[in-house]
Amino acid sequence: MATVTDIDRRWVFLIMGLVVLITYIGGVAKDLPVSEYVDAYYKTIEDLPAGSVVMLSADFDPASAAELLPMYQATIHHLLRRDIRIVNVATWPAAPPYTRRWFDQIAPQYGKVYGTDWLELGFLPGDDVAMGQIGGSITSAFAEDARENKPITDFPLTAELSSNMGGIVLLVSLSAGYPGILEWIAQVGGRYDVPILTGTTAVQTPDLYAYYPSQCSGFLGAATGATQYLQLVTVGETEVPDDPDNLATVRASNQRRMFVQSWAHGILILLIIVGNVLYFRGRSQTA
Amino acid sequence: MIPLALQQAAPEFFDLSSNMDGVGAWMVCFFTLAVYSFLYRDNAFYKTAEHVFVGAGTAFFALQYYEEGIKGAIWEHIERAVNTAPGEIFELGGYAVDPTVAIVLRCIAAVLGLMLLSRLFLPNSWMARWPLAIMVGVYAALKMTGETQSKLVLQVKGAMKPWATTDGGLLGSGEVFYQNLSYVILLVGLICALLHFVFTFQRGKTLGGISRVGVVTLMITFGSMFGFTVLGRYALLIERLDNLAGFTAPAYSLLASADSAGASSRVSQLISPPWIVAGILVLGLLITRASGESDSASAS
Repeated sequence: MATVTDIDRRWVFLIMGLVVLITYIGGVAKDLPVSEYVDAYYKTIEDLPAGSVVMLSADFDPASAAELLPMYQATIHHLLRRDIRIVNVATWPAAPPYTRRWFDQIAPQYGKVYGTDWLELGFLPGDDVAMGQIGGSITSAFAEDARENKPITDFPLTAELSSNMGGIVLLVSLSAGYPGILEWIAQVGGRYDVPILTGTTAVQTPDLYAYYPSQCSGFLGAATGATQYLQLVTVGETEVPDDPDNLATVRASNQRRMFVQSWAHGILILLIIVGNVLYFRGRSQTA
Repeated sequence: MIPLALQQAAPEFFDLSSNMDGVGAWMVCFFTLAVYSFLYRDNAFYKTAEHVFVGAGTAFFALQYYEEGIKGAIWEHIERAVNTAPGEIFELGGYAVDPTVAIVLRCIAAVLGLMLLSRLFLPNSWMARWPLAIMVGVYAALKMTGETQSKLVLQVKGAMKPWATTDGGLLGSGEVFYQNLSYVILLVGLICALLHFVFTFQRGKTLGGISRVGVVTLMITFGSMFGFTVLGRYALLIERLDNLAGFTAPAYSLLASADSAGASSRVSQLISPPWIVAGILVLGLLITRASGESDSASAS
């Protein structure tokens, strides 16, 4: 005789899909309480003096954009808004063409000039070795920039940089896995005494708690962290429904996503409890 | 809802310079829904999406690694070194070297790379072992220095939390109490989890009990990791849904070019890429299922 435990698992997929769909349609944007780690990320950037140079590493690809792209957009806005200059690098091959779009869109909003206020160095293969190379000498690691293919020593921004991360006051890595934040900490953070901030996918987030605050000054954990950070960066801004790339709109969209996620998590927990109850009941009946 | 991909202006049907043209929208909808169709069962749509993804991904990565790993690192590097005037300093790995030295060193690296490929023709040859040995050596040295510091020394230091001084009892009160309590839990969990992996002594009552606490600590950790992983997967699903919802905008509807103003928005949404693609996929799955059932019936 068929029992509840014999239910086709596709029914579970269907239930989850329906829950996500229904809550997505009726989702509401609500503020989340900001965690200590996100607050530390925000304050570290706030405390930087204007004109400082920050290295922003895109260690992700489109597969993890759902979680990391809002962080990336918000971080660029936050840095440029505070007149902090950015050296943009990537250790994932699919990152540069993907992230270029956001610099193209955001930098002009603050009147920033390429080569003076921000620089795109592109992808460097070699994972940990590449990170060590970037830390040791950025001009050796990247002979030319990725945008105009000019020697990077021709740009005013690089005139202030020197070997051993000289001139870089902060490293921000938006990390989807390997190579990512754990490798930056090992290869650059400890060696050159550079403060590090990171935003990570949910899968990588549990690893970060052990590094905070001694080796990582603050972090954004998954979509939740991204939403909290967006709230801090867009205080007082209202969403513009006609402009999906507006940061306040991104924040509102992320907040609605968190509403959906909360419901989906609740249903999952319920399913786990039901599954366990059925399992133990079945085991006791067999015994 | 305000999907991120929402576009009010009608996109061009085919425009490589835009972020998302009409063809792109249809492709996004097809590949997204084709991959999710695997949840129902393995099928031709999923296989198509899988093969296209692997093919396109391989082509893209091959191009990127050629650009940065071969063209930039060898050809352009040598070209720059050749164009450097005699006596001028050339920077390599953070060190100032003579251009000739830079060329020679890069040529040695290129030769080592080619030697690695000799495994394709001479499987047991010594030629591939030399570059492999160098790679392992360099990687081990890099890992040993950086990771020992970040994953051992500083982690041990981080586990030694300072006890917050208080006036109210051993653990204090209020926030200090919770802070000290969390340190105690951290310390007990850490020691018990480490002792769980001690196999030198026979498990008696004491070590067995400690090990049990260690197992519980590890299970809580794995549970937390599982929760975070699910969180990430849901984020991807919701983002896909958000993206698909964006393509139901009038700008992407098949009615857009004809008479989008006259058509009701609901009808316009229904003949947009996500709904049409979903309909085709469902129909395709039903047809293949029906033909599969009739084949098995005729075979029996």
